[in-house]
Amino acid sequence: MKFIDKNTIEIDRELSELDNFALDFVKILEEFAKYVLVSGYVSILLGRARVSEDVDIIIQKIDFSTFQALYKELKKNNFYCLNAEKDSTIFDYLSDNLAVRFAKKGKTIPNVELKWIKHKFDKLALEKTINVKLPKGNLKISHLELQIAFKEEILKSPKDLDDANHIKLVAKEYLDNKLIHKYKEMLSGFY
Amino acid sequence: MGFIEENEKERKSFVRKWAKYVRTHSDKDWSKQQNVIINSALKSANMTREQFFKMKGETNYVR
Repeated sequence: MKFIDKNTIEIDRELSELDNFALDFVKILEEFAKYVLVSGYVSILLGRARVSEDVDIIIQKIDFSTFQALYKELKKNNFYCLNAEKDSTIFDYLSDNLAVRFAKKGKTIPNVELKWIKHKFDKLALEKTINVKLPKGNLKISHLELQIAFKEEILKSPKDLDDANHIKLVAKEYLDNKLIHKYKEMLSGFY
Repeated sequence: MGFIEENEKERKSFVRKWAKYVRTHSDKDWSKQQNVIINSALKSANMTREQFFKMKGETNYVR
């Protein structure tokens, strides 16, 4: 794992089924919306020894016609929505600030949990991304300081604390600890 | 030390050891081992939409 600069990590890893799934989805999504991967999959991508049944993705808000085009392309590539079939219904979910899930046809796991930006921390994650270069493509993940702060300050489950710890250990020379502390203060006042 | 504390200590110790392994071995090496966990778990995962949403506590999420 090479930390090339503040915005780029190169991982010459053997891709997992979860990585291939995320890459397949993102390849379509990025043609229609700005996105960022957040939460558990970020730590898994960086080597954490655990599995997740979903990949969390935040996207910018898009209009209905853009969503229709995205959904059409997803269906063409063998994805389906677990929540609903009709494009307008799925769009309503997103408009109501609810997440929608997509999986490959015939499967429920793994799936992508897709949601629109809801608040300033989602916006921050979407604006400040790290490009992870993999053997078969690139993935944009949230900057690590925000992920660590969110897991340590808000989520706090053993799994999330271990995720945060893993990221802190594998990326320790590259993290801005003052920024983690700042985010924790901001988050504790927000939630 | 009780069971919960013992379990937490072991978990944290494993996270430290594994992170050290990731830092000191090639990406191909650690990912190959990590993939044994990921791919086998995903392969055996088999549930309906309803079961999945129930597991996630999202029971009103199918329209």
